[in-house]
Parts: sequence; structure tokens; C-alpha cells
Amino acid sequence: MTDPRLSRALDFIKAHQNPDGGWGYEPGRRSLVEPTSFCVLALLARGESAAAGRGSGFLRSCVKSSGAVGIDPKDPEGSWMSYAALLAFHAAGAAEDERRLKGWILSFEDASGRFTKDEIAIVASRYRYDASIQGWAWTPRTTAWVEPTALVILALIRTGVASTEKRIKSGIDLLIDRKVPSGGWNFGNPYSKSYELEASTMSTALALAALGAAGVPKSRPAVAAGLGFLERALAGDVSTASLAWCLLALRGYPGAEAAIPGLAGRLARLQTEDGAFRGNLFETALAFLVLSDAPILGPSPREAP
Amino acid sequence: MSSAPMTRRTFVRLAGASVFAAYPAAVLPGTPGQSDNPTVPRALLRVALAPCPDYGPDSLAGALRTGWRTSQPPDVGGKRVVIKPNMVDVSADRPIHTDPRLIDALILHLSGFGPREIVLAEGTSHNRDAEWLFRRSGYEALAKRRGIRLVDLNYDDIRPVACVNPRATLLKEMSLPETIASADVLISVPKMKTHKLAGITLSMKNMFGILPGMVYGWPKNTLHWNGIPLSICEINGTVKTHYSIVDAVVGMEGHGPIMGSAKKVGVLIMGANALAVDATAARVMGVEPSRVDYLAMAHKIKLGSLRAEDIAVDGERLERVRTDFALDPEYAHLRAPRG
Repeated sequence: MTDPRLSRALDFIKAHQNPDGGWGYEPGRRSLVEPTSFCVLALLARGESAAAGRGSGFLRSCVKSSGAVGIDPKDPEGSWMSYAALLAFHAAGAAEDERRLKGWILSFEDASGRFTKDEIAIVASRYRYDASIQGWAWTPRTTAWVEPTALVILALIRTGVASTEKRIKSGIDLLIDRKVPSGGWNFGNPYSKSYELEASTMSTALALAALGAAGVPKSRPAVAAGLGFLERALAGDVSTASLAWCLLALRGYPGAEAAIPGLAGRLARLQTEDGAFRGNLFETALAFLVLSDAPILGPSPREAP
Repeated sequence: MSSAPMTRRTFVRLAGASVFAAYPAAVLPGTPGQSDNPTVPRALLRVALAPCPDYGPDSLAGALRTGWRTSQPPDVGGKRVVIKPNMVDVSADRPIHTDPRLIDALILHLSGFGPREIVLAEGTSHNRDAEWLFRRSGYEALAKRRGIRLVDLNYDDIRPVACVNPRATLLKEMSLPETIASADVLISVPKMKTHKLAGITLSMKNMFGILPGMVYGWPKNTLHWNGIPLSICEINGTVKTHYSIVDAVVGMEGHGPIMGSAKKVGVLIMGANALAVDATAARVMGVEPSRVDYLAMAHKIKLGSLRAEDIAVDGERLERVRTDFALDPEYAHLRAPRG
């Protein structure tokens, strides 16, 4: 990889590593698992093993006795950021950390098992989704939502878990169940009583990236409608992170990225002189990985479950 | 759901951080020390109902100036002031978020008192794409134009703070964004709206947005599992809002906080005690505040008062501006009788 713009992104990342080995979302901010994991992934993609090793050290300091990873070393339990740590442990060859974290993620307890029949009926009537479907939540024992479920599916498949694994299958069911009828996904409520809620670009991109990685084909109506939503959304204003996730999602479906030309260039043009994307270390690393087409993050299309 | 009383002792534990609530129970209206002794004059909470027919800069500046003067405003000179608007989402055709023209007028108003810094900060609840929402809401352009920081509270550095409620469970130790924890003055600027899960949403409910999504998720689901009224009271008991300004120039009725319809009222409701401001705003909406679970709970634990006799309303007469908001049928019981 010799593109000088991408090298500048790496320089920005390296210049802002905290003394504890991690990175915050912005320079000078406290280290957290999600930005650190993505910076480690970017550095490993470029063979920068020393800085990546210090980053991995920070991630290991966030591992709980259960194998879970919190948002930082002080977090008392596992968090949604575990998806990012799993990707980083896998890329770094930290097999034991990866195995234990994967075990925690696969036994993750959301709220689906806590809902009573009455509560499931109320959710079905009010929000029109099936609250009994197991997925992943932002925090343990709370309701599963679209984005954490999608992020975890992406990470599990990237790290070699088959899309036929029962938790992944359930997660896919949840994503399909939570689709917004007119196309795409939002945080996870397709309706509020009689009102259909709007889809959002980031949620749709993440859901499609996960479904693509799991091999759910374009012929599935939810996927086709989601791709249609993204095409419309990408004709307008889109944030840096959403644009990067959109590219990743479209790459999971052959021909989808080519159907919306110029997206990679559009993302690349968001880079500033200092090599950063929006001055945000997570977004810089994400954009770097997407623009360099690093297999470290890319989807691995498989057969439909 | 428990509604544990918050004692003065537990408030005192938090002394030392200026933004943390430290309501001296003895000076609050309705506390035994006052209501039991008729010789002690009741300290009225002052709330301004400032007429504001539109979002024009002159209308807003005039309303803010008048309302501020009569409603026990905080001293902001030399202070770091954090403005917390309400932006659960943004829509082109529904007034979901606090109008940026009001925020702009407020920044100009505050600048006249020489604050050290003004910060605009929000932690969106549904859509975590803050870059896009800040741009679409007009807040990003506003922050650039006025040269102030715009902070996404969902990803801010966090500081653990003990919840003021000794019986708290899920929020026993709150993770507060540094921007909020280090503020000298916190101003809540909500949009007047109905709410499908809380009945109405005003200044106190607006504080859901200060808790960071990276800890509590989107849509801050931990707070729902904790119980919405209890979460509102635990947050507002632990973090002091120094001043509230309800954007009721145009509010939202019906299926809020996202899918409702615009409702013109034409006032700003302003004051130092969030509960008194919310209770007054509820009355403007045609809602009996004591029937709103979280307002009743906040009154019971002495976060202020919702009783009309404890609140001195300056400016417009409440009955003149009362504009009944269409309520979700589930909340029809909140309607206050007229007269």
C-alpha cells in the first residue's frame, strides 16, 4: 500500500497513541476499546506491529475474567465494543483472548429471555417486531437492537464463525424482522404504534454489511429494499462513518458498489491535511481500512443460511 | 419500581462539583421545614412565560431578555456554560428538535454577560450518527458561526458519579460526560412535546440526553429498563440543571417525541427550577402536572415543586397562553380541566 494519503492517515493514528497504548475517539482523549481496536486493525494492515502491539496491550487490560471486554479497563462488565476487540484480537493473532471473547459474545444475554408473553405481545402491537428473537444489545441484559447485532455478526463471521451458527442465525432473523417496511433499518423500531419510523443510513449500512457477510442474498426483499434505501440516501448528505460503512456494505453484494460510482473517491475527499477524517481516530482508522480495501475488515460472502 | 427518597445527606456527598445537584432541602417549597411553619414566608419559585410569536431574532432576543430578568437566572459571568438542546432526531417536516434560531439567540444573550465559554452539547438517543444530525439540525453551522464547541455527549470522556438515590440499582454509579460534569452552568433547552412513553417531554426528560450512548446504548435503553420516571428523577437529582428554557414557540403534539405534529404556542417558559418550569409548561399544554408520573415523583422527592401555589409566574397569564396539546389516547388522563 503506497498511497500517500493512506500513509498520512496512519501517521495521524501513530501520532496520537496514548501512553497506555490505546486511542480515544479524538486526540488527547481517554483510550477506549472501539477506537483502539480499529487503530490496531489499521496498523496491522500496514505491518506496523510495534504500535499495534501496544494497542493490543491496552485491549488486553480491558478483558474481564469472563473473557468479555468493556469499553475501557474500568468498565465492570462486557460491552458492545467487544465486537471491535474481537476483530483486533483475531487480526493480532491473540488466539486465547479471541477464543474467550468469542465465547462470551456467543453466550451474550440480551433481554429476549426476560420478556413475558404479555410484554412480547405489547411490543408486537406497538412496535411490530418480535421481541423474543435473540440478538445483541448495547449493554448486557437489555433489549437487542439493530446496530450491535449487526456489528457482532460482522465480527463473528470475520473471525471464522459459520453463518449457520445458531446465534448468528438468530441475529440475522432479528435484522430481517426489524426492517423498516419501506426500505432500510433504523435503530430497531420499525413502527411506533401506527407510524412507520424512518430508516437511517448508518443503521441500514451496518445491517446490510452484516447480512452480506453472512451471505444473505440480494434476492431477499429486505436486502433489496435496504440497498434501494442506501442508494437514495447516498444521493444526499451522508456522514463520514456512514459513508465508510456504506462502502463496506455495498462490497458485500457484487455489483452494488459499481452501481453507485465515485463513493470511494467521495470518502477519500473527506480526509483533511493532517491525514485525519474529521479529526476522529476511529473514523480515520475505519476510512483507512475501507479505502485500502483491507481484508482485515471486509465481509466474507458465504452461502445463504 | 422504587421511588426512594433522596436525602440531604446523599446530596451533600456530591458537593464539590458545581454542576451536581445540591438542593438544600430546607429552602425548597413544600418541605416540612417550611410548610409546617406558617410564620416562615414561602420562597416562591419564579417562572417566566415570555411571549415569543415567532423565531425571528428580534422576537427571540426580546423574549429571552424579558424572561431571564424575572426568573432567577444563574450568574454566567466568567463561567463555562453548557447548553443542552433536545435533538432525539431531526426531520424536515416535523419540529422534533429545539430550534437552532433559539439556541443562536440564547448564545448571543449569554455572551452579553461575559461567560468564559459557551458549549453546545447533545447525546442523541435514537440515531447515533451525530455528524449528520448536527449538520441537518443546523447546530453545526450555528456552532461554527458563533465559534463555540459542539460536543457529541455520546462519545465524550466519562466521569463516574454516585447516584444521589442510595437505593439506585442500574444507575447506582452514573457515567457522566466530562462536558456535563465540569460545567459551571447547565442550561436545558428542550422542545415542548408530547411523548409516547412519558406523556410529555420538557426540561427534566431532556436530561436523558446527557447520559452517553456508548455506556447506556441507543435509545438509552438502560434508562428504560430502570423505569423512565425513576431514571428522570435519578438523573435530575444527581445533575443540577441551573436553568431551563422550554422552546414552545412551536411545539409538537400527538405521537411525540418524533411522529407528532407541529403545534404553535408562541412562548418561552424559563426558570431556574426545572420541575417548576416543567409543571408550568405542562399547564400551558393543558396537562395536569401532578398526573405525570415523573413530575409527581420529582415533587415527592423534593427536586422542586409542581404546585401552582409554589410558583410565581411572570409575563403572560397562563390561562391566556394555554394551548391544549393533542395527547396520545394512552395519556388522555393527563388532561387538566379548564377553569
